[in-house]
Amino acid sequence: MPFFFYFFSALALIGGIGVVVYRNPVTAAFSMIVSFLGLAALFILLNAYLVGILQILVYAGAIMVLFLFIIMLLDVREETGKSFPFTAIAGAGTIGVGFIALLIVVLTKSDIGAISAPVLAVGDAATSDVHQIGIKLFSEYWFPIQIVGILLLVATVGVVVLSKKELK
Amino acid sequence: MPVYALEIIVVALGILMLMLDAFAKLEDKRSIAWLGMLGLIVVFGLLFRVEMPDAEAAKASFWNFYSPTGGLSLYFKGIAVLTTIIVLIMAADHSPVIVSNTANPEPGAHPQAGLGEFFALPLFACAGLMWMASANNLVSIFVSLELVTITFYVLVAYMRRNVGSLEAGVKYLILGALSTGFLVYGFAWLFGITGSMDLGEIKTALADSSVNPTAALFAFALILVAMAFKVGAAPFHMWVPDVYQGAPTPITAFLSVGSKAAGFVVFIRLSGMFLSSEFLVGKVSMILGVIAVLTLLIGNLVAIPQKNFKRLLAYSSIAHAGFLIMALACSPKVSKAGESLSPTNVIAFYLGAYLLMTLLAFLVMTTVRRRVSGEDFDAYKGLAKRSPFLAFALLISMASLAGIPLTAGFFGKLFVFTLAVQDSQWVLLTVGLIGAAAGFYYYLKIVASMYLEKAEGSETVANYAISIPARIAMIILIVAIIAAGVMPNLIFGLL
Repeated sequence: MPFFFYFFSALALIGGIGVVVYRNPVTAAFSMIVSFLGLAALFILLNAYLVGILQILVYAGAIMVLFLFIIMLLDVREETGKSFPFTAIAGAGTIGVGFIALLIVVLTKSDIGAISAPVLAVGDAATSDVHQIGIKLFSEYWFPIQIVGILLLVATVGVVVLSKKELK
Repeated sequence: MPVYALEIIVVALGILMLMLDAFAKLEDKRSIAWLGMLGLIVVFGLLFRVEMPDAEAAKASFWNFYSPTGGLSLYFKGIAVLTTIIVLIMAADHSPVIVSNTANPEPGAHPQAGLGEFFALPLFACAGLMWMASANNLVSIFVSLELVTITFYVLVAYMRRNVGSLEAGVKYLILGALSTGFLVYGFAWLFGITGSMDLGEIKTALADSSVNPTAALFAFALILVAMAFKVGAAPFHMWVPDVYQGAPTPITAFLSVGSKAAGFVVFIRLSGMFLSSEFLVGKVSMILGVIAVLTLLIGNLVAIPQKNFKRLLAYSSIAHAGFLIMALACSPKVSKAGESLSPTNVIAFYLGAYLLMTLLAFLVMTTVRRRVSGEDFDAYKGLAKRSPFLAFALLISMASLAGIPLTAGFFGKLFVFTLAVQDSQWVLLTVGLIGAAAGFYYYLKIVASMYLEKAEGSETVANYAISIPARIAMIILIVAIIAAGVMPNLIFGLL
């Protein structure tokens, strides 16, 4: 259904642009939620239900609520009067437009239709997405999961060390 | 001892150090660093007694993520462990600076509050570097790379009461996150084109004539952006000087040796997949050549006017990345000819030599930093009078970085230039020679100011207290630089 694809892609992009454009941090955070919803819908269109739902629950739900709490608790004000030099805007614009142009050229030249997306989550259709992904993660992919566990430990220690008011 | 046990030991050691810091009542928290150092020396010894899995055992799913062959990956694991040992020595020496820039003066707190984590976190980065050295799957490359990068985000910004360190942390975080985005996008394209995450399978798929060259080159370009960021190659080198200058000195050393070496293993593996495909090799090695030329020119020429020693070493690290990519760009034809001097071996040798000389320079820097605040060149004026041993160590290090004969750095550059000649890459060779010549100027400028100029102020003879582990490490590094400069086969024998 190309219509839904374009609709939700546009939603994700508009949300993303909103994050950058709005100067009020609360409005920017809400634009980010819109962008996440668009992305979640795209995942669901690709039959990745679990990823789509997680996107909504974890990102649009938990993480964004945390963001909003912090913004409100710290009473972050609207950014005012900060303008960027022309060279910075020109440079960023050139890189952005150049990258999009490159992407268009690559997409037209690389005959993307011929590249058949590999089917990942196979197995018996009776079991749900969650089961299949869980089994994959904890059997075949257990090793990367362990490394991610250590990564989370490091991140936790790091956050405490960097942000605790008084170290003991 | 199975090969995968090494990383487990390192991680367990790191957790033990964290626990000691949290629960043991230690008078002097530097003992945590000594514990980590001794543990890593044991791990380094174990590197020589590991067993690789046999063909039957290598079929387990674990080995899809972890290279079942030794050689190069063991060598780079050794580099990671050695770097971490010396970083811990430096961190212990540097601890007064760390403490004064982190702790909140609060009555009743431990006077070295916040120091234990500074010693424990490098262990986790070390485990990540070791996993990177044997990663043979896009997934394991990504997670181990992220483990290393996230540990570095914390360590770079560790001196949280120091504006420079925080600035470095924010810059590194934002640019690092951006480069990770490029890496993942590149991986996604690669997966889309080839349908596999396994480096071996991707290599076979890319060598097939049915592969679409535009899509494959786009994937390469995206991966190149991220890898060039990691190893500090132009035009993605902007973060290097600021982050190196702002970060705590031991962490700068860790970044410039450990992170760069592991970045290059992954870079060799990833670009190797493209270089082995006859449809892509021409363009890919041309792109690498362009990056090498840019990096050599920017790194070497911008280093000349620098006034701060740490910033100078940052540009020097960019310049060395240029020489290494130059070797990588020479890859294809030479490796087909079946020469013993393959680009991979040359890069491994160069990184080994780079480890010795760069860590020596940083060891001297941390020791001098205990007497003089700041890392400007003025602090090194007349160092030979004040501390002949430190001046000599820095002399050896600078001579080797410049590539003077009888030091390890000379052979590193010589092998790279030999590769370029064999591959008839004349442009690269010319730029490389210009870079090396500029290197002579800015490295020897420091040596001249140490030996010929007089120190400002009244401090003429001062006892530069060199801690015993630092002194032992310096002597070992000096001997190793000269030994590898006389007999380069010592390092090649380890490969």
